[in-house]
Amino acid sequence: MTSRRDMLRSALLGGGATVVAATALGSLGPEAAFARSASDVEPGAPDPNFAEGRIRSIKDNTLLVLGSNMVFHSIKVVDGTSLWKLGPVPFDEAKPGDGLYARGVRMPDGVLAAESVWLNIVNIKGHIKNITDKTLHLDHNGQEVLCHVVAGKSVAVHSESPPTADLSMLRVAQHVQILGAWRPDTNEVDIATVFSPH
Amino acid sequence: MHGIAATQPYVIALFLVWAGLMKLFSRRMRARAGQTALARLVGAARAVPALRLVGVVELAVAAALLAPPLSPWEGTAAALLCAGFLAYLTYSYVAAPTASCGCLGAHSRPVDVRAFTRAGLLLAASLVAIPADPGPPLVALGLAEAVALMALSAELDRYWLTPLRRLLVRLRRPLAVVPSEHVPLGTSLHLLYRSPAYCSASAQLTSDVQDTWDEDGLRFVVYGARERTAVFAVPLTGDDPSAVLVTLVAS
Repeated sequence: MTSRRDMLRSALLGGGATVVAATALGSLGPEAAFARSASDVEPGAPDPNFAEGRIRSIKDNTLLVLGSNMVFHSIKVVDGTSLWKLGPVPFDEAKPGDGLYARGVRMPDGVLAAESVWLNIVNIKGHIKNITDKTLHLDHNGQEVLCHVVAGKSVAVHSESPPTADLSMLRVAQHVQILGAWRPDTNEVDIATVFSPH
Repeated sequence: MHGIAATQPYVIALFLVWAGLMKLFSRRMRARAGQTALARLVGAARAVPALRLVGVVELAVAAALLAPPLSPWEGTAAALLCAGFLAYLTYSYVAAPTASCGCLGAHSRPVDVRAFTRAGLLLAASLVAIPADPGPPLVALGLAEAVALMALSAELDRYWLTPLRRLLVRLRRPLAVVPSEHVPLGTSLHLLYRSPAYCSASAQLTSDVQDTWDEDGLRFVVYGARERTAVFAVPLTGDDPSAVLVTLVAS
């Protein structure tokens, strides 16, 4: 890992930074898990290069995933696959029971070779019912969701200002949007980003 | 028991008057009638007339409870009304779990255990009131009951519960953080996304963040870019997006 990092570092700093030609395709940050693909998929037809569901089992580097529409997906994770679980994580962080969204390339044998996998990612809106020790109690359509602040990971974006690790500006009763990682089979979420309108 | 039964009509009447007046005269409540469980029960078009009808019945029962002469029928009528509320709440909980109840004012919260407790307390008070005790009411008991019923009313939360919680948050500061040198990855990514370097390379990117590490005041962020690898260097301090560097490396 270190030698690869050294190689990438020297390629960037030693070789002189380059600006590569842009085309019309978009970014692939965590928000892209919820983005609509601009591909040529028929309206209403499932995107073959996308899968969602919960991990039933893990065999070698393949995740067996049961989709919410009861369709099984085999998702192959390779060296170049990015995994997100409240941030970039190694493959061994993927556990049976985790929910996921994955994008990649569908192989002829039906296996999805994943480029990006987002584990347990959730994007919820609601208003803050209460704030207790490092936890926001979010009212999401009448359901309480406990959103935990994770030191060093959670950030707040107030309006257009840069993200800050200081979440103490959040107020009871205000509306927020939370991007985070669900703790499977609970009503609890670890916060990645809180978006606040003010 | 002396005085307890005599207290109940006042408590019940207070809440029935409040509920009836809100249903008859609150413009906001009429505007949101379509979002209550009542709209599901009687149809959206008949929600406002139904709301008014319930309001009139509530005011009529309240007037009967307050006006002499005393009669056991008054408590019975109130008990029937409260039993109806409970049945309606149960219907709302089962048939329209996301709709609000439209009981005492406009709000968007669905029926929960507090709404059931409030209706149950009112029913109990109505049953206690049936003997039609002519004795003087117990003021302290009446006030305690009214306070308990108000505390169970989600409609009033913004007047006392929200300010109370804000005050506690201000005093306890549950989200206060120890100042730290560590920059969360989200902060660096926010700067990265706004940089010309990222804009120029984003079309090539095929994965989310593969790897990241800090070195010499820079945070290196690695993405997959088809058969290649995109490496960005984001300064850990400062907020100038043009300081971000990028290169594409053949893997």
